[in-house]
Amino acid sequence: MMKTDVIIIGGGSTGCGIARDLAIRGISHCLIEKGDFASGATGACHGLLHSGGRYVVNDPEAAAECISENMILRKIGQKCVEQTGGLFVRLPGDSKNFRDRFLKSCETIGIETDVLSPSRALDLVPNINPSIEEAIKVPDCSIDPFRLCMLNITTSKKRGGRILIHHRVTEIVKEHGKCVGVKVREGLTGREMELRGRIVINATGAWGDKTAAMAGGSVPMTLSKGSLIVTNHRLTNMVINRLRPSSDGDIIVPNEAVCLAGTTSMPVDDPDNIDVESHEVDLVAAEAEKMIPSFNSTRLIRTYAGVRPLLSSETGDDRSISRGFRIIDHQNGMFSIMGGKLTTYRLMAEKMCDKVVEVFGLKKRCRTAEIPLEGQEQLSGYPLSKRLKELKDIVCECELVTRDAVERAVNDVGPRYIGDIQHRTRLGMGPCQGGFCTYRALGIMQESGRMKPDESKRILKEFLQRRFKGIRPALWGDQLREEQLVESIYLGILGMEEKG
Amino acid sequence: MSSPYDVVVIGGGMSGLMAAISLVEKGRNVAVISKGDPVCCLSTGCIDLFSRGDDPIGGIELLPDYHPYRLIGVERVKESLDIFQDIMRVAGLPYVGDLRVNRKILTPFGTDKITCLVPETMESADCDPDEYIHVISFKGLKDFYPSYITSGHVNSGYSIFDAGVSSTSAIAERFEDKDFLQEFISWLLNLSLPDGKIAFPAVLGTRSSMSIFNEISNRLERDIFEIPTIPPSIPGERLFNRFKNLFLEKGGSLYWGKEIASVEKLGGRIEAVTLSTRGRPTRVQGTLFILATGSFVSGGLYASMDDVRETVFDLETYLPGERKDWFNEDFFIPGHTIEKAGIRVDSTLRPLDSEFSNLFVCGSILAFTEVMKYGCGHGTAIATGVAAANMCEELL
Repeated sequence: MMKTDVIIIGGGSTGCGIARDLAIRGISHCLIEKGDFASGATGACHGLLHSGGRYVVNDPEAAAECISENMILRKIGQKCVEQTGGLFVRLPGDSKNFRDRFLKSCETIGIETDVLSPSRALDLVPNINPSIEEAIKVPDCSIDPFRLCMLNITTSKKRGGRILIHHRVTEIVKEHGKCVGVKVREGLTGREMELRGRIVINATGAWGDKTAAMAGGSVPMTLSKGSLIVTNHRLTNMVINRLRPSSDGDIIVPNEAVCLAGTTSMPVDDPDNIDVESHEVDLVAAEAEKMIPSFNSTRLIRTYAGVRPLLSSETGDDRSISRGFRIIDHQNGMFSIMGGKLTTYRLMAEKMCDKVVEVFGLKKRCRTAEIPLEGQEQLSGYPLSKRLKELKDIVCECELVTRDAVERAVNDVGPRYIGDIQHRTRLGMGPCQGGFCTYRALGIMQESGRMKPDESKRILKEFLQRRFKGIRPALWGDQLREEQLVESIYLGILGMEEKG
Repeated sequence: MSSPYDVVVIGGGMSGLMAAISLVEKGRNVAVISKGDPVCCLSTGCIDLFSRGDDPIGGIELLPDYHPYRLIGVERVKESLDIFQDIMRVAGLPYVGDLRVNRKILTPFGTDKITCLVPETMESADCDPDEYIHVISFKGLKDFYPSYITSGHVNSGYSIFDAGVSSTSAIAERFEDKDFLQEFISWLLNLSLPDGKIAFPAVLGTRSSMSIFNEISNRLERDIFEIPTIPPSIPGERLFNRFKNLFLEKGGSLYWGKEIASVEKLGGRIEAVTLSTRGRPTRVQGTLFILATGSFVSGGLYASMDDVRETVFDLETYLPGERKDWFNEDFFIPGHTIEKAGIRVDSTLRPLDSEFSNLFVCGSILAFTEVMKYGCGHGTAIATGVAAANMCEELL
C-alpha cells in the first residue's frame, strides 16, 4: 500500500496548483483525477486570465485577487499566458453610471485602465463594432488551462509527486472517524488500489459535494452551467468584454487559433450530465455579434459547457454569488477547497497548502509566486513558423499535427484515451473537429501495436458521438457542410451507421 | 456573341453530367458550368440506389410518393441505371450489380457497406466470413490501416509495400508507371500468400485502372478487389473523370471553375447566366436550364442560422422545421431532418412556386431526397439527371 502525506483529489487547476505548491515545500503527495487533467471546469472555461475588471463593481475582493494573481501568472507562466490585453466596450444604451463606477473601482483596487475613443479601439481590434461609445483597456490575458495544469504537474512529478489520472476514488478510508486514505479504481482496467495519507484534500470543483459526502461531510455549493462557442479563427487579438453588469454572452477571448465566446449561466443539478442547448447558442451568438458584428458570419466549430462550482449564498441569482473561494475543514482529516476561479488557482493552492503545513506543524512558506513554472523551456509555443520546421507526415491537417507528435504523445501518456492525445497535441481541435484525423490517430496507435483494433474501434465510436454532441447545437453555414461530409465518410464510406 | 445552347446545365457533379451526357448523345448543344470538382470525387464511386434493405428497387417502391424516385417513377429509375451501365461499359470503366439485389463491399473500417452497382474492381469485395483475405497497404498511407479490417476477419493477414510516396493520389499515379506495376507484382508474387482473396486500398491506378487491375489479378491467378478509402477517393475521381471526358468527347462545352455572378430573366424565363471570369464576364445563353448544384456539401444549398437558401436562382426552398430539430442526437443513425431540405418539384422536375418555366432541377438539391437516410446518393443523381434530360428533350 502506498503512503503519502497529502492525497489530492481532483486534477483541475486547483488540484494541480496544490501539487506544485506541496512539491516546492517538500511535502509528499499523490494527486488522483478521474479523467485527464483539466477535464472539469478548468478545461471548459473561457481561458481568460482576468484583470479583475469583470468583478470590480460587484465583488471588489475577488477583483483584487484577480489583478494580483494576473500579475504573478504573466511572470511565472509566460508560455501559457498570452498577454493580449482586454477591452471593456460600452455599446449605445449601456449605462454610463456603471462605466463611472467601473473606472472608480478599478482605480481603488489598482487595475490599470485606459479610456479609448471608438477610433482608437478600432485600431486595436478592427473587427469591433464601430458604433461603440467607448472602450476601456484593461490588463486581461488569455491563458491555456490545460497547459497550465501540465506545467504545475511537471514540478510535482520532478519532486516525487505521484500522479494518477483516469483513476476514480471509490471510497474514502476512515479509521476512528478520521480520513486515512482512499481506494481508487483505474478507468479501463478496473484495477483497484489503496493509498494512505495524513490529509485528504477535496479539490473536485463541481463534484465537491459528492466527494465530501464520501467522507461524511458536505459542501454547500450551487452548480451553474456556462456554455461557450468556439469560432474557427481569431476574430480579435484582445479579450473583448461588455461594459455592463455581468450577463450572458458578454466575453470573447482569443485563444491559440480560435476565439471563445460565452457564457450562459444556468443552474444544474448533475455536473456529469450537461448539454449545450441551441437557444444558448443563439443567445451567446446574438450577444457576441453586438460586440463583433462579423461573429455570426464566422464559422462556429464547436460548443461546450462547464459547470461552475459556486459557493452557495442566500440570493437566487448565480451571478451575484461571490467568485471568491473558501477552505472547509471537515474536522475529520479532509479539507475541501471550493469556489474560486482559474485566475486565482495559485492563491487558492497557497492558502490550502498553508493550512497543510499548519496541520503538520511545519514552517515552510509558499514560493509558487516567485519560481517560474517548470517545463516551459520545452514548449515551442503556438507560432506556425516554429512548427513548420518539423512538419512531416501530417495526420491532422487543421492543426498541423504530425505522426511523430501523435506517437510522442502516445509514448508519454499511453495509448488508451484519444482525449489525452488530443489535449497534448491539439489533434482534432480545428475546423473538422477530428473528423478525419481521429480515424488516423487510432490507426497509428494500433499499427504500433500499442492498442488493440477492437479497442480503437470502440474509442472512435465514442469519440464521434461525443464530438457530435459538441457541434450539433451550432450547425449551420460552412460547419454544416463540413458535418455532412464527415457524416458521409463515417456512415457512407466506413459503414459505421446503425444498421436495421 | 455565341448562339444559345439548347441546354445549360449548372453543376458538374453526377446528376448534372448524367443529364448533360444524355443530351449530347442525342445531338443537343449543351454547356455545363461548374465551380470545380464535385462531391463525386469524395465518394466511393459505388452507386447506392437504395441501401436500407436487400432489394433496392423494392425499397424504392415503398418510399413516400414525394421522393424524387417516386416522382419520376420506378420504371424510369431502372432505365436510367441501365443507361448508366451501358455508358460505363463503353467508357472502359464497367460497373456490375443487380438492381434487385444489394451487395456488400468491405470498408477500410472492416465493416460492410451496402450498395447496388460497383466498379468491377470491387466485384469480389463481398467476402465470406471464413475465406482468407490478405490486405495490402502502403508505407505511410495515413488513410488506410489494415488492422481495422483484419481484426474483424478471423482468417486474414496483411503486408505493407513501400511505394516511395504515401498519399492515395500519389500512389494511384505511381501505378500508371509500367515499371512500378511490374515491381509491385513481383513483390506480391514473392509474398507467396495462402489461397484466398487479396484486397487493396483503392489506389490501383487512375486512368488505366481496369488494365492495371486485370494484370495484377491475372498474374496472381486469384480474385482481388479494391477497398474505397476516405476522401480523396480514387474510384470517385475515376468515375467523375470518365463522365467529364465522355461529355467533352461528345462535343459538350465545359465552363469549369466558374461561379455564376448574375442571372438574366425575361418574361418568366431564364435567358442567360453570367459567369465571373477574369477580364470581361462570360455570358452563357440557353433555351433550357438544368439546376444540378447539389446539396449543402457542394454548395447548392446554404444554411444560415435559421433558414436554407438556394444559391444560384434563390429558388423557394423547403425548410424542415427549426434549427434545433435539424439534427438527431445520435451521430450513427443515418438521416438527419435537415436532409429533407431542398427544392420541391413536380413530376416534370420543374420547381414548384417558381417564376421560371424553362428550368428543371435534378440531383441531391431536390427536397426529400434524403441521401443518407435511404442510402441513395448516386442513384438519385443518375435517375433524376436522366429524367431532367428527357424533360428537356420533350421541349426541344
